[in-house]
Amino acid sequence: MNLSHVLAIIKKDIDIELRQKYAIGGTFLFAITSAYIIYKSFGELKAMEWNILVWVIVLYAGLNAIVKSFIQERKETYLYYYSLFGPLEVIVAKLIYNYLFTLFLSFTVIGVFSVLLGNPIIDVSLFMKALLLGALGISSVFTFVSSVSGSSSSSSTMMSILSLPLVLPSVLIMERTTAVAMRLINDSEIYEDLVILGGIDLLLIGMIILIFPGLWKE
Amino acid sequence: MRQNWWKFLGIAILIYSVVIGMSTPLKPGVLRMDPLSIGQNGNDSLRILHGETHKFKVKGYNTNFIDNDNIAWLKLDSIGSVKASKINIVNDTEIDLTFDIPNHFPQRDTFESLTLVLYNIEDGPAILPDAVFVRSDLDPRNDNSEWEVNPIANLVVKPGMQFPYRSVLHETIRNTFFHIPLWFSMFIMLIVSLVYSVKYLINGNLQHDIYASSLVNVAVLFGILGIITGSLWAKYTWGTFWTTDVKLNMSTVAMLIYVASLILRSSINDIDRRAKLSASYNIFAFAALIPLVFIIPRLTDSLHPGNGGNPALGGEDMENTLRMVFYPAIIGFTLLGLWMSSVLIRYEMIKDKWMSRG
Repeated sequence: MNLSHVLAIIKKDIDIELRQKYAIGGTFLFAITSAYIIYKSFGELKAMEWNILVWVIVLYAGLNAIVKSFIQERKETYLYYYSLFGPLEVIVAKLIYNYLFTLFLSFTVIGVFSVLLGNPIIDVSLFMKALLLGALGISSVFTFVSSVSGSSSSSSTMMSILSLPLVLPSVLIMERTTAVAMRLINDSEIYEDLVILGGIDLLLIGMIILIFPGLWKE
Repeated sequence: MRQNWWKFLGIAILIYSVVIGMSTPLKPGVLRMDPLSIGQNGNDSLRILHGETHKFKVKGYNTNFIDNDNIAWLKLDSIGSVKASKINIVNDTEIDLTFDIPNHFPQRDTFESLTLVLYNIEDGPAILPDAVFVRSDLDPRNDNSEWEVNPIANLVVKPGMQFPYRSVLHETIRNTFFHIPLWFSMFIMLIVSLVYSVKYLINGNLQHDIYASSLVNVAVLFGILGIITGSLWAKYTWGTFWTTDVKLNMSTVAMLIYVASLILRSSINDIDRRAKLSASYNIFAFAALIPLVFIIPRLTDSLHPGNGGNPALGGEDMENTLRMVFYPAIIGFTLLGLWMSSVLIRYEMIKDKWMSRG
């Protein structure tokens, strides 16, 4: 695995994303519009609802954005990548890119929510830890599922039915941890939950790195 | 014939567990004892009147009160108990007991729960924990001799196989032989399927892909049956078909993951591609199953045995009579599942043969 190759793929993905402004713009507009609909229909939001709705929007916006990470380019382009990079470099680059994207998306949604509906987060450092670990789990599941469902005919439906049950453990634990960060629940052993969240991330990423080289040969 | 012995073994074991599991009677038990608390009426109804005689109506289950010398105790702790002074048999399952409650309790102003112990030679002991609540308001005396006049003694358990009587479960305790073995065998099949998926990715043998997917099919069927039996069980013990219990919902999500894998398979037409993608997804799904089934239920309380302080399979939580049927049932259901998937595997192989012939 060559680190410069990984960086090159990430840079290429960011370049494409910035060039095709509709895709990234669409995702963020989706997130902001959803937040605005919630703001107008709820008026005022309890902290628990705030917490849940943030993650639901991040989940669906992320799903829409990451679904294309393996189908945005033509088959010939992949053949070209195949000759240039190893499978490990490609998947690591995609994982890092999608992770950064999910984080960026989460911050945007949280930012919009904070402006419109207030910010109930009390323990910022715990919230950030939960966010960093949870987003890693979500983005890696989405990356894997997009590589599996990539070329099947109805890939966006496939993507949601395949990935939503798979991300559920990460999302549930993350929601619990962020609820503790908002002092909605008391849990003195919340760092155990963070360790479990990290453990699930490691398990998922390890599986992806093991499985992907076989898939990449397609 | 010779290579089919395990199918017959599986069916024989299943017949054994259904027949024994359904026909073995429960131990005699006590359904209820009225009144639940003794003392004055009104606000202070739990306060005991000292040294009073109280009469209780007791309803038994599977008991034979008539033609037997019945003895009854109210048990306070490991030593102290009071014997019924008068026993009036109504019929085989109903009996009236009269107790002379002693004046003094070991502690003042605390609620004591007394356990009812009924005994006759034919039934063996029948026990109702927390049968009656009393509260004492006299200062404790140092000697508890009043409680030690007639200690519980000479109890002989009736020989022969009987399932334990549990107050909430009653006859539904037999679901232990269906609900839990279904989940066990589902897990075994998922693990075997995982092994075949890994094998497929290593050697690219399409047979192994058919093995893996057929096993997942049957495992999903068993999982759905496990949910249904659990749901019926919940109706009779917890009161509703569906609860917010974490194990219930996590296992439903696990089923969703595997149903999705079957849908993924049917969405791809190219055989090699389908095999490769579904094998990859199968491995990944199993990895995601571990936190769902083994980690998250441990984080929250559950109504299920083994969680939140409830008893489960280990140690003395399960009685040996139950084990005699429970473990064979696991083996029986697993063999049945493997047989079902072997039929499915042969069907898929014939289908593939004909497809490739065109």
